[in-house]
Amino acid sequence: MPKQDIINSMYRVRFHGRGGQGMKTASRVLGKAFFLEGFEVQDAPRYGAERRGAPIFAYVRASRKAINERGIIRRPDLVVVADDSLVDIPAAGVSQGVSTATVVLIYSNHEPGTWKQRCSLPENVVTLPFPEDTQHEHRFISTICAGAAARLSGAISRDCLKEAVQEELADLGEEMVQANLSRALHAYDLMAPYSNLVVAGAGETGETFSKPDWIELPFEPARVSAPSIHAVLTSEKVATGLWRTMRPVIDDSLCQRCGLCNSLCPEGAISLDTAGFPQIDYVHCKGCMICVAECPTHAIHTLPEHETEKGLE
Amino acid sequence: MSETRFQSLKDLPAAHLLGTGTAMCAGCGALEALHGIYDILGEKTVFINAAGCMTLLSVYPYTPFRGSWLYTAMASAPAGAQGVRDALDILLEKKRIGPEDDLQTVVLTGDGSAYGMGLSATSAAIERGLDFLYICYDNEGYGNTGHQSSGATPHGARTATCKGGHGFGGYKKDLFAIWAAHRPAYVATVVGAEPLDLARKVEKAKAMQGPRLLIALAPCPTGWDYDPRETVKIGKLAVKSGVWPLKEYIGGKTVHTKLPRKRLPVEEYLKTQGRFTHLFEPQRDEQTIQEIQARVDAYWHEFDG
Repeated sequence: MPKQDIINSMYRVRFHGRGGQGMKTASRVLGKAFFLEGFEVQDAPRYGAERRGAPIFAYVRASRKAINERGIIRRPDLVVVADDSLVDIPAAGVSQGVSTATVVLIYSNHEPGTWKQRCSLPENVVTLPFPEDTQHEHRFISTICAGAAARLSGAISRDCLKEAVQEELADLGEEMVQANLSRALHAYDLMAPYSNLVVAGAGETGETFSKPDWIELPFEPARVSAPSIHAVLTSEKVATGLWRTMRPVIDDSLCQRCGLCNSLCPEGAISLDTAGFPQIDYVHCKGCMICVAECPTHAIHTLPEHETEKGLE
Repeated sequence: MSETRFQSLKDLPAAHLLGTGTAMCAGCGALEALHGIYDILGEKTVFINAAGCMTLLSVYPYTPFRGSWLYTAMASAPAGAQGVRDALDILLEKKRIGPEDDLQTVVLTGDGSAYGMGLSATSAAIERGLDFLYICYDNEGYGNTGHQSSGATPHGARTATCKGGHGFGGYKKDLFAIWAAHRPAYVATVVGAEPLDLARKVEKAKAMQGPRLLIALAPCPTGWDYDPRETVKIGKLAVKSGVWPLKEYIGGKTVHTKLPRKRLPVEEYLKTQGRFTHLFEPQRDEQTIQEIQARVDAYWHEFDG
């Protein structure tokens, strides 16, 4: 790449995860690492109704020149997916704006080929397999993803990554910093074969900026363009069941029909059938597992979503 | 208590009024309490909601309610309720609506608004004798913006604004006492983890007129840092340890509705939440734990006589 182009180019990285996994932290660590390498940097999570378990987005831009772009990243050079159950969910928008030049990194035990085939993703899919002790290691997803992304960019040295983790996580105390650091560096090293895979996109100037696709709306009276909606219970159109990674399953043979789960479910996602047996509404159950914890006869157990046949409904 | 229609869990409504699909976190203790409250209050309600987590219940065009909902600034929900109540009264007076179409005016705010920003508007509304029900979901911090300290944050808790080794240095405001000092018709504390106690209090409040106020302790997995499945367990521990007394103010008297016969040590409650971890690790902060225990003991000592 000619020197001028490197100067004008910009890395655009988009993180996808679930609320609670630390995507904001991942974007801060990566952003800080770029910054320590001398880049101009923007890093920010998308603001909105961030909730545990719900799809979350965070963005990093890094360039050798001042960054004039703002807002969400529509055409990413690197997409990092911290939770592979998001890939199939349209609302998570993993493949949004992904081109043949985009690299997609998925934290997953499935092979890249599986993802390419299943989700028609571009050629450059890289997977980062889970460590063996999954239960424990999932606490470090954010730094694992940041470490891997740093290596894929090819622009960040091991030392800068190290310093970035130390600075960003200093509040958590030395023990947690070290625990995160070893995971971040391990992921960084694992990605060695793919170092430099990400190609920074062209920097945009006012002249080259391509306008979003405007939708021309005819001028209409307010009651047409902003209808007042008098329907009730419209929230039920929102499938919050997508937030769930584990599901509660009721064993009717152990259920005493006490109705406690029905009373305590914060969502109101458990109803009682005519015989008094509880039925779970999986379209809306967010998987808090209060029913599992409170059931007096232990008639409700948890099942990982990927082990259910209709896990993606 | 004999007049209540809620003698056992079986008497609680099995079909719920509040819709699913809201944006509240999985395991939200505030949503759990609101569920129980709404089931008893019924559809003939209009909610006046100050800015907070719960404003995300109704994001256009979605709503989990079966009736109207009004969004106000953080300090003004009781003022909004006054306007709605006045409008309803005028419509009734002019016979534009019949008594069967009248609605309960319900204020819904978090603790940031109830204990802090909205307190003067609430005080004035009680003073005017406004006929309304106030529901405060108390998750002991500004939960919707990352859990900063509020007037409801308990001593020693870590929040986004008190990250140091000792947590929040202040003390939780006694909102129950502040409200009761206004001599309204009714004040009560509730928690979603005790649905029967909650239902009885809402039933009682619903049948009254004038200012009626409820504070619902709302265990918050996100802000208090615990596994969402523990919400009910933590709510019950708050009651059993004496940290959250279930009580009501009625006819000038305060009565406890659930007496923890043998109170559990407060540390049983504190230990369950990440926001108090620094009291136990890396070293045990005996002084702070003892101070919290002593304050709870002093509270109960006063009532035990």
